[in-house]
Amino acid sequence: MPSASVLRLQIESALAHKIPSALTPAPKMVRPIAATGIEPLDNAMRGGLPVGAISELIGPECSGRTSVALSFLAQITVIGKVCAWVDVSNTFDPATAAAAGINLARLLWVRCGVSHPDAARARRDFVLPDRYFAPPPVKRGLHGGGFGSHPRNEVKGISDAVASLLQQETTAPRCAEPPRRTRLTQKTFEPNYPPSSTIRRQPSRSAKPWPRMEQALHVTDQLLQCGGFSAVVLDMGGMAPEFVSRVPLATWFRYRAAAERTQSSILLMTQHPCAKSSAELVLQLLPAEALCDEITVFTGIKSHVEMARQRFTQIADNILPLRKLPQSVNALSWHSRTSWTGRR
Amino acid sequence: MSDTPKLYACLYAKEFPAQALLRLRPELHNLPCVVMDGEPPFQQICSLNTKARLLGMDHCMTRIEVDTFPNSVVLSRSIQTEAVTKGILLECAGAFSPHTEDLSEDTACICCIDISGTTNLFGPPEILANTLLERVRSLGISAQVSVSSNFHAAVCLAKGLSPRNPIQVIASGKESVVLAPLPLTVLDLTEPQKETFAFWGIHTLGMLAVLPEEELIARMGQEGKRLRQLAHGNCAHLFMPVELDFVLEELVELDTPVELLDSLLFVINVMLDQLVLRAKARILALASATITLSLEGGGSHSRTVRPALPSTDIQLWIKLLHLDLEAHPPHAAILAVTLHAEPGSTSKVQSGLFSPQLPEPTRLDVTLARISAIVGEGNLGRAVLEDTHAPEGFRIEPFALPARDSATIAPSQTQLSMRKLRPPETVSVRLQNSRPTALVYRERRYVVEHAYGPWLAEGDWWNQTLWGFEQWDIVARAQDGSLLCCCIMRDLMRDEWQMAALYD
Repeated sequence: MPSASVLRLQIESALAHKIPSALTPAPKMVRPIAATGIEPLDNAMRGGLPVGAISELIGPECSGRTSVALSFLAQITVIGKVCAWVDVSNTFDPATAAAAGINLARLLWVRCGVSHPDAARARRDFVLPDRYFAPPPVKRGLHGGGFGSHPRNEVKGISDAVASLLQQETTAPRCAEPPRRTRLTQKTFEPNYPPSSTIRRQPSRSAKPWPRMEQALHVTDQLLQCGGFSAVVLDMGGMAPEFVSRVPLATWFRYRAAAERTQSSILLMTQHPCAKSSAELVLQLLPAEALCDEITVFTGIKSHVEMARQRFTQIADNILPLRKLPQSVNALSWHSRTSWTGRR
Repeated sequence: MSDTPKLYACLYAKEFPAQALLRLRPELHNLPCVVMDGEPPFQQICSLNTKARLLGMDHCMTRIEVDTFPNSVVLSRSIQTEAVTKGILLECAGAFSPHTEDLSEDTACICCIDISGTTNLFGPPEILANTLLERVRSLGISAQVSVSSNFHAAVCLAKGLSPRNPIQVIASGKESVVLAPLPLTVLDLTEPQKETFAFWGIHTLGMLAVLPEEELIARMGQEGKRLRQLAHGNCAHLFMPVELDFVLEELVELDTPVELLDSLLFVINVMLDQLVLRAKARILALASATITLSLEGGGSHSRTVRPALPSTDIQLWIKLLHLDLEAHPPHAAILAVTLHAEPGSTSKVQSGLFSPQLPEPTRLDVTLARISAIVGEGNLGRAVLEDTHAPEGFRIEPFALPARDSATIAPSQTQLSMRKLRPPETVSVRLQNSRPTALVYRERRYVVEHAYGPWLAEGDWWNQTLWGFEQWDIVARAQDGSLLCCCIMRDLMRDEWQMAALYD
C-alpha cells in the first residue's frame, strides 16, 4: 500500500505537464501594496490595495466608491505608471478625475456600449420666420423721403384709410346696452425651435446591458494580456446586481491569474459582491452621510467602509495564542469633500 | 581619376514579365505559367516560366495555341508590376554600389553595377556576385550574374549564362576567350545583321572576333567594328548611372475580384515579407504602411496604419492591417492591392532601470486596435479637457505612452467625484418657491433635504450649439432611507429637468 505522500507525488508527476504542482496548495504570498491616498483606509489595510490581485469595491450609489478608485489611480499616475478605466455604463467624468489628481495622459479610458461617441451637441436651428425676410414695402410719399411718388398720389389710398378708421365697431348700429367688448387676444410669441416635449429620449438604462458588459469583459481581458497597466478599473458601479452577478466566476478566476502574472491591480466596482473567492480584498462601502458644513454649497459626504474580506493577512508572530487575537478595526470612515470646498 | 581597375557586375533576369508577376504568387511556382501581351484577340506569349517551356510552349504563341495545353496558367502582362519589380531589383543592386546602370530590354531586366574598389567592403568579386544573387533570390527573382573588367563583356556574358551556372567572373584580359563560345544572340543584332552573319556562317562571338577588322568595316560599316570589339570584349562604354529613390512599395493585381479580407491577407503577408526584407537590407524598419485597394467600379480604398514604434514584425503589421481593414471595410470587391510603407529607424529605446513598468509599445498598439474593434473607434483613448463650461467639455485623443512627465499634484484631501449619466436621465422635480423639494428618479421618490443652487451656466449663444443650464446640487433621501447626492440640471433650452451626475 503506497503511502499518501507517494500517491501525491505520483499524481503530481503525472499531471506535471498540465498543471504544475496540482496537489500542493499555493504558497501564501505577501503581496506588494499600492497606497490609495486615503489615509484612514491605507492605515487599516496596512499600506493600501494589493498589487497583482483583484480588489472589490462594493457599495450602493453615492457611497464614495468612485472617489476611492480615482484617488487610487491618482497615486499611480503620479509615479509615472499608466492605468486603464473600463467604463461599462459610460459614467467616467474626466473633469472630476483631473480634479482628483489623475494625470489624464496616463489613463486609458475605454467606453463600452457607446454607439455614437462623436455625436455633436444638439444643434438648434434658429430660423427666423419668412415674414421677416420679406423686403419692407416701398414707402411712398413725402415721408418716404424725396424721390418718391408725386404728392398727388398721396390721396390715392385715403378712402381705404378712412374706411379702416371707421371699423365695424364704430359704424354698426347699436342698441342702448353697452356693447360687449371683445377682449383682444393676446399675441403670443412662441420660440421657433422644435418643441422638445415630442422628442423624449428613452433612457439608456432600459436597454439590456449584456452587449456592453461583454465588451467590458473582453476589453479587460485584452488589457490584462497586454500587461504594463498598473491598475485596471472595471467600473460596473452603475449596473444592477442581477446583471453583474451573472458574470461567470471563471472570468474572475482568469482575471486573478492574469493580474498575478502581469502585476496589475484590478479594481472592481460593483453594487454587490461578485468575484467571490477570486477577490483578494473586498471593501464594502456603506451608505454615506451628507456633510452639511455650508448653507450655500454642497461640501461632500462621509463614507463608511467595512473590510469584508482580506486574504493572506500577515500575522506578526508564528505562535498561535490560546486566546482570540485582538481583531483589527475593520470599519472606518472618512470625509470626501467636493473640489470647491477649501481645506478644513 | 583614381587608378582602381574598373570592375563591373551585370545582373540579368530573363523572362522578366513572368518573373515579376509570379514573384508574389508562390502558389503558381509549380504550374506552367505564360504571360500574354497584346490586344485581344491577337495576344501572344511574351514571357513564360520553365515549366511552360518544358511543356513545349514558346514565345509568340497565340491564345488558341496556348489553349491546347491543359493546366497552363495564363496571365496578362502588367507593366506596372514590372516597373515596381524593376525598381526593387535596381534598389537591391544599389545596395552594392551607387553606380548602377539600367539596360533593361522588353522582356529582360539587366542592370550593371560598377563595383570597382568594393573588395574591402564586400570581398572578392565571386563573393560579391554570390551575395548579390542570394539577395535577388530572396526577392523572388532568379537571375544570372557576371563580373568583368569590361562593361559590355559582363553584359554579354550575363546574357549567355545558363541558369544552372548563374555566376561567372571573367579574369582581366581573358574576355575574348570566355566570350568566344557564346552565340551571337547575346549581341543586340538588327535583322539585316543577323541575316548577314547567318549567310557568312558566323554563329559565335569567337567566330566574329577573328574576322579581319578592315574587311568587316568595309562590308558592315562602323557598326561592324563595334560588334567586333564587343566580341573581343574590349568595347569602351560611357557609364550612365541611374538615380534611385528608395520607395518601399509593392503592387499585386488580383486575377479575380476578391471580397473576403481573409484571403487578401495571404497576399498582404507576401508583400509585407518583401517590404520588410528590403527595409532590413538598409537596416531600417517600417514606420507606417498605407494599403490602397483598387475596387471594382473604379474606386479605391486607402488606409494607413502607424504603430507607435517602427517595426519589422510581420505578424504585428498583418494584425494591425487586418483590424484596420475590418473596422473600415472596402465597399466593393478588390481588384488590386498596393502596399506602400514609410521607412523608419530601428533604433531601440533603452528604458531606465528604475523607470516604472509600462506596456510594451508594439503590444499596446495591437491591444488598442483590438479594443477599438470591440468597442468601436473613438470610444477609447485619453481624455483631454477643453476650456469650456459645457457639460461634455472634453475630447478623446488616441492613447499613446506619454514621453515626458507633466507634473500633477494629488490633492491633499480626498475629493468627492462624480459619475456622469450619459445621456442625462429625465427626472420629475417638484418645486416650491422655485426650489426643488421632491424628485422622482428611476421610479423612486426622493424628498430633498438640501438643495444648493441654482448655478447658472450657458454658452455658445452665438452658435447653433447654444446651451444653457440651471444646476442644483441635491441631497435627497428616499422613503427607505437611502441617500442620493446628485446634480440635477434644468435644460433652459428645453425646459426639462435632468439627472446629470451622481456624487459617488
